[in-house]
Amino acid sequence: MSTRTIRHYVDMMTVLAQKDFKIRYRNSVLGFLWSLLNPLAYMVILTLVFSLLLRVSIPNFAAWVLIGILVWRFFSIGTAQGLSTLVANPSLVSKVCIPRHVIVLSNNVANFLGSALEFLVLVPLLALLGVDLTAYALFLPVILVSEFLLVFGLSLSLSALNLRYRDFYQLWDIALQLGFFLSPIVYDASLIPSGFQLVYSLNPVTRLIESARDIFLLNKLPTLFDNAVILSSIAIILAFGFLIFRRLEGRFAEEL
Amino acid sequence: MSVIQVDELWKRFRIPHERRVTVLEHLAGLLSILERKRYSYEEFWALKDVNLKLEYGESLGIVGPNGSGKSTLLKLIARVMRPDKGAIKTNGSTASVLELGIGFHSDLTVKENALVYGVIMGLPRSEMRKRTDSILDFAGLTRFQDAKLKSLSSGMQVRLAFSIAIEIEADIFLVDEALAVGDMEFQEKCLNKFREFKKAKKSIVLVSHSMDLVKRFCERTLYLLNGETRAFGPSEEATRQYLEDVKSSTGTN
Repeated sequence: MSTRTIRHYVDMMTVLAQKDFKIRYRNSVLGFLWSLLNPLAYMVILTLVFSLLLRVSIPNFAAWVLIGILVWRFFSIGTAQGLSTLVANPSLVSKVCIPRHVIVLSNNVANFLGSALEFLVLVPLLALLGVDLTAYALFLPVILVSEFLLVFGLSLSLSALNLRYRDFYQLWDIALQLGFFLSPIVYDASLIPSGFQLVYSLNPVTRLIESARDIFLLNKLPTLFDNAVILSSIAIILAFGFLIFRRLEGRFAEEL
Repeated sequence: MSVIQVDELWKRFRIPHERRVTVLEHLAGLLSILERKRYSYEEFWALKDVNLKLEYGESLGIVGPNGSGKSTLLKLIARVMRPDKGAIKTNGSTASVLELGIGFHSDLTVKENALVYGVIMGLPRSEMRKRTDSILDFAGLTRFQDAKLKSLSSGMQVRLAFSIAIEIEADIFLVDEALAVGDMEFQEKCLNKFREFKKAKKSIVLVSHSMDLVKRFCERTLYLLNGETRAFGPSEEATRQYLEDVKSSTGTN
């Protein structure tokens, strides 16, 4: 690859990510504020239901659940949008010769930035909720970048598959609903019966949520196990994503 | 040195009898196999053994009736699609203007859209920033630069896209009837740009229904009929053949 190709790739990635980022917040009066209001409203609802009504005994439930929500939001919105990028941009796929993964990547980058901003604005709120923020919080970028790579790998396979079978959109929607309850967002992982603990704990999103809670609430770094699961799933999912994408890319223009 | 060389090019499309695109329909398809109805599709050769060679400084016209494979050939040269058999060699950088305004989004402003389109077409971002003003000036849209694209008429949108497309630096321009749109003044601007390209010894590959345009700008013309080469040679001859075919088929009917 020449430097010219690389520069063109970076340029395309930048303008397409800017475009997706702007479109996400345009045409609404509150714009980016919705990205903050939505998880906050969710936090309030979940705290009311689980902490007050169901009396779940997790200390500082509001802060605890907010962290889970923010990590989950990036995963669910990132993959759901990543999945539809190719179908949503037919002319980019079939009328011009650009590496198609840049379309997926730039959408993921836009959502990564959105998510990073959400954390940046809402983390100080944790302090208001009584959380002692320490230097461990500085580990957050590592968690977010890991999550981004996971989202990118999944988006590659999902977008390519969705181009051929349009119902991947619906299937993934259901998978996300299942995933929400298979991750410790509204309940503590210790509630899972011991027989299922190992399988349950291999979910990379679970590991990301636990890592984020470790650095903010427990003042410790993510465990070796967390990192091992996250890194190996990133490697597998990215490799798988590129493989599927490559395999299906040849017929993209014909199937759109 | 040849600019474009196409050797024994074949392109096949598969048209399922009942187009199944969803997983559910595929499952239904599986069931119908059990009922001994086979999953079947029509094989359709969009291009059959196409050969051509274009020398440095020459331009190519591609003519033929609808569905004869013109746009498919252009997409293959642009490398948007892959051939099933044969090879395409191009010498130099290509710019594909198969559609104007690729990546345009109606909720972004005129200026924002200009940046996205320019960069996708291969212009560096830094260069686009410098040129945006002159591009908008050329398109006559400076006044609307911060308006959303959707507030522009379709003609104005095409003008914006075209004004960006002509800024692309490339050795080979692939153009698919993009000129059919736009008013007279705008078309004249396009023709001027073509003349500049010709002077600079750049190659244009033009898919068009205008024999006049093809004869004016292209030394060679490929006349495609049902995916096969009906004629390839000097534009005067190939277009005459096409006209004769059209006359005889409409005359006998």
